[in-house]
Amino acid sequence: MITAELTETETHCTEGRDIIRLPFGLLGFEHVKQYILLANPAEEPFLWLQMLDDAKRAFLVVPPERLLADYQPDISDDEVEFLGLADPADAFLLNIVTLRGNGQATVNLKGPVVINRRTLIGKQVIPNNAAQYSLRHPLAAS
Amino acid sequence: MLILSRKAGESIVIDGRIVVKILRLEGELVKVGIEAAREVPVHRQEVYDEIQRNNREALTENHPQLPHFPGKPAAPAPAKRQPVKETVS
Repeated sequence: MITAELTETETHCTEGRDIIRLPFGLLGFEHVKQYILLANPAEEPFLWLQMLDDAKRAFLVVPPERLLADYQPDISDDEVEFLGLADPADAFLLNIVTLRGNGQATVNLKGPVVINRRTLIGKQVIPNNAAQYSLRHPLAAS
Repeated sequence: MLILSRKAGESIVIDGRIVVKILRLEGELVKVGIEAAREVPVHRQEVYDEIQRNNREALTENHPQLPHFPGKPAAPAPAKRQPVKETVS
């Protein structure tokens, strides 16, 4: 079984290149279907979802539990089935961060990327309860 | 744009594989049912548009330096970014 070794306290790193497959891409980037996830301890808890075929282009992402204690996106049964999430613990959530200059950044809580830890297949989903979450949740730098 | 008139309960078939059914009218709201294969993504347009726009704004080139966010120690000189390990267990 393949699992992503990502925990609250540690992020393992190797030279391995495990490919995350997004069959639908990200919204607006439907044609880019393969990514790798990069971490730098100095940048915790943030990670980079980098296009496999273009090392210059990446999305800054963050596991939402590192920012919000009560984030509970309601993923539809169709999405759960598509992602093959037999157990909720198989779901690895990442939210896309937008750097907006002057030390400002926002996190998209409305369209999380959900990845199956076992298969590394993911999808950007719009949860049933998306209306209660912000597209631009502020993440102020000090 | 093709414009069709439909009554509640009537449907439109698109490409032989997508069925759009007008379920009922509720005041200013039209309830629409869509039957499509799972590989056909269906979104409310305004939600789709805003997430698409946000994704485009979020795309970074050449891994920019992160600002210092609260609750994080000041970053030392950045180490090389490494692929996140996926272990086989």
